[in-house]
This record gives sequence, structure tokens and C-alpha cells, in this order.
Amino acid sequence: MNENNFKKVLVPLDGSKYSEKALGRACELVNMFDSKLVLIYVVEKSVPLNFLDRKAYLKMLQKFGNKILDKANSSLSKKGIHAKIILKEGNIVNEIEKVVKKEKCDLIIVGNKGLGSVTRFLLGSVSNKLAQSSSCSVLIVK
Amino acid sequence: MVIKTKKILAPLDGSKNSIRGLDMAIHIARQSQGTVTALAVKSVPGIYAIHPLGFLDFNSTSEMKKILSDAKLRAAKKGIKLIGKSISGDPGYDIARFANNSKNGIDLVVIGARGRSSAKEIFLGSVSNYVLHKSKKPVLIVK
Repeated sequence: MNENNFKKVLVPLDGSKYSEKALGRACELVNMFDSKLVLIYVVEKSVPLNFLDRKAYLKMLQKFGNKILDKANSSLSKKGIHAKIILKEGNIVNEIEKVVKKEKCDLIIVGNKGLGSVTRFLLGSVSNKLAQSSSCSVLIVK
Repeated sequence: MVIKTKKILAPLDGSKNSIRGLDMAIHIARQSQGTVTALAVKSVPGIYAIHPLGFLDFNSTSEMKKILSDAKLRAAKKGIKLIGKSISGDPGYDIARFANNSKNGIDLVVIGARGRSSAKEIFLGSVSNYVLHKSKKPVLIVK
């Protein structure tokens, strides 16, 4: 009857405590609405890293991402929630948008800040961009 | 970790988008057995909002009453308790202040992506953006 049901919820993770908060909030929603959960970690490729060994750096980030996703998944399975896991490379916002379209998600849950340090006191850049440009609803967890 | 969303704030300005936000708030409230607080906001230049004389009472105009009674009807259809409040002033500032006020005990703000102020279709409305930045409570943006 109600068409605005949250059937699929996307939670982008970056390993910060804000994203953990967002995950906690997502658990609550999943229990309430009986929806599916998709976790995503995006390895950022847009930063120019010529001075470092780029491949090694990306590998490190990938390892980090896998660790975060595994950790989140194990804490979710303790609560009896099954989640789909995606690891992507590229621009964070673009990749999240693409996944939203591909998986037909109804809701994105993000923390208000992430790991970026510049805009620490304000809304994070990724959350802001998602709120401005995403095609589905966004829940910003504070 | 159990987070309760018992009190949901839904700011209304009479536009279609805000009604959609209200529907979403009612939907969530039904699942979490919470109540919805509808906040009808009338945009008024600051000088009138703090006018010392009582004759400029924007809060009880027929427009606001209509918005709130519509909201009550919508909520009653779904069996949700709805508390109506009305505020006149700068919409963004007042919504954020209302949400942050610990007396009101708001757990979640549900807001439409755009209100009545802009003809732009793609971007987030200015009020939504302001509330998003200033509110200390979680904000759900309904598209």
C-alpha cells in the first residue's frame, strides 16, 4: 500500500566513527522495515599521488577497505542481518551514485562527517554532495 | 545499540514536497510507534516576527490552520498522533532551532528536498540545506 518503503538501504563506509554511527542507525531501520542492506567502501582514486608508489598505496587502501567491510559484516551477522558487500574504486560520490542506480536503493544512510579533515566542523564534503545530487532519499546521521 | 525515533519533526510549508516529507514521517512513525510533530512555517521578514504589537499574529492565519489540519487528517488516517505547531520567521533558522531545542526532544527531522521557494529542479532547497547543516539531530531528506 505504501510506496515509500525502504526496500534497500545503502551504507557507505569509510572506517570513521561517523560511519559506524550510520551503520548502527541502519541496523535499526533494517529491523523496523525489514529491508535489505548494502555496504560499500570506495577506494578513492581521484587524489593525485605521483610522489608515492601509486599501486602500493591503492593496494593498502583496498586492504583497509576489505578490513572495514569484514568488520562491519561480522558485527551485522551477530545481529542476524545479512548484508551485501561492494568494494569500488574511483571518485567516491560518483561510485556511490552508480551503485544506487544499479542496485535500485531507496535510501542512503551517511554520517555527517567522514575521514576528511578540512571540513571537520561542518558537514563533510561527501555527505554534502550526496545530499545535493543523489536521486534517492538521504538520511544524515549526526 | 538501540536508537529510538519516537518524536519525528516534519516541517511543512504547504508545498507538495513537504507533504511527501510528512508522508514519510508518518510512515516511519508507524513502524517505530512514535509521534509526529508537524511544524508549519510561515516565512516572514524578521522585523515582523519579533513585532512587539500583538496584532500581527501570523501563527493563527487561515493558511497555517489549513496546513496543520490537513496534516492532522493525513496522520489520523494512518492512526498516528500528530502534534501541530506553527512558527513564523526565518524558516531555516527556526526549524533548526526547534529541532535542537532539547525541550522538544526531537529524534529525527524529515524534510522534503525542496520547498516552495525555488523553481530549480535539480538542487537541494536552501531551507533544507540550512537545516541539514545546522541541525544536531539526524536529518532525512526525502526526494
